[in-house]
Amino acid sequence: MKRFLYHLARLILALVFVYAGAVKMQNVTAFAGHVAAYQILPYALNYLVAATLPYVEFLAGILLLLNARVRPALLVVGSMTLVFMVALVSVLLRGLEIDCGCFDPGGGQDVSAGVALLRDVGLMLLVALVWWLRTTERDAGRGTRDAIGP
Amino acid sequence: MFSDLKRIGLETCVLIAFGALFGLTLNYQLIMDAFSGRLVPAQSQVVVESVTVALPMPVLIDEVQQLKASGGLIIDARSPDLFAMGSIAGALSLPMVDIDALLPDFLTRVAKDQIIITYCSGFGCPDSFDLGVLLIESGYQDVRVFEGGYPEWRDAGLPVAGESR
Repeated sequence: MKRFLYHLARLILALVFVYAGAVKMQNVTAFAGHVAAYQILPYALNYLVAATLPYVEFLAGILLLLNARVRPALLVVGSMTLVFMVALVSVLLRGLEIDCGCFDPGGGQDVSAGVALLRDVGLMLLVALVWWLRTTERDAGRGTRDAIGP
Repeated sequence: MFSDLKRIGLETCVLIAFGALFGLTLNYQLIMDAFSGRLVPAQSQVVVESVTVALPMPVLIDEVQQLKASGGLIIDARSPDLFAMGSIAGALSLPMVDIDALLPDFLTRVAKDQIIITYCSGFGCPDSFDLGVLLIESGYQDVRVFEGGYPEWRDAGLPVAGESR
């Protein structure tokens, strides 16, 4: 049961981040616009973030998908989500009406900061769950067929 | 346990470095353009070769300030919503989305020898360039494009107008 839960949560996280990274990689310039809308970074740095963040997201997602280097990938995913949450809270506090730019930068409907924040809380819980299951199950199942990962 | 955490931390750094390096390599040109502030949209180079009509000259932020001080007319090519939210102080709104309806009136009100600087939402936004081409085609003699657009102007702390100041 725990193993099933672990793999389910891991796959959900993996797909979310692979997707989030992939769609943003398609349109880095548009994503830079979304980052700029947060009005946190100076102008050129928005491009730096837009040019790197999607690739880190994608890579971490791939590792989660492959069940390899799961905890480093979780740390990356978790810290990114934490940064997103801080940025979203600052957006809410300043009352900016912007699209969160979470996924497809060229996409249709906007997702408000509040909704995105709730989603990020969910992601954080998943990260914690996978981390916990990974650590406990791995130690418990070490050397047996029940071991979760390599 | 401690060595475990150390290894995880190390692998995390490697993972981030890899991703960032990958992204920087793939987007090297974009980054360089953004930092140098001299981005000429890729499409416009193609246009330069195939079309004989004069194209609007790109200008940097300090030139925009000089032109503005010496009577240049700054034109906002973005949508009316964005213009209302925040724009370069003293800019005139001529949204590319309503250009067919608005251009005739503009032509009667602004002299053809007026220096014009167009802008929109920064690099990657084609409206200021398209509007510049259109104005040149309409007979304006000196049309330039401020490609950094509203974001660069605002972030430089220069005077802006609108709701979200």
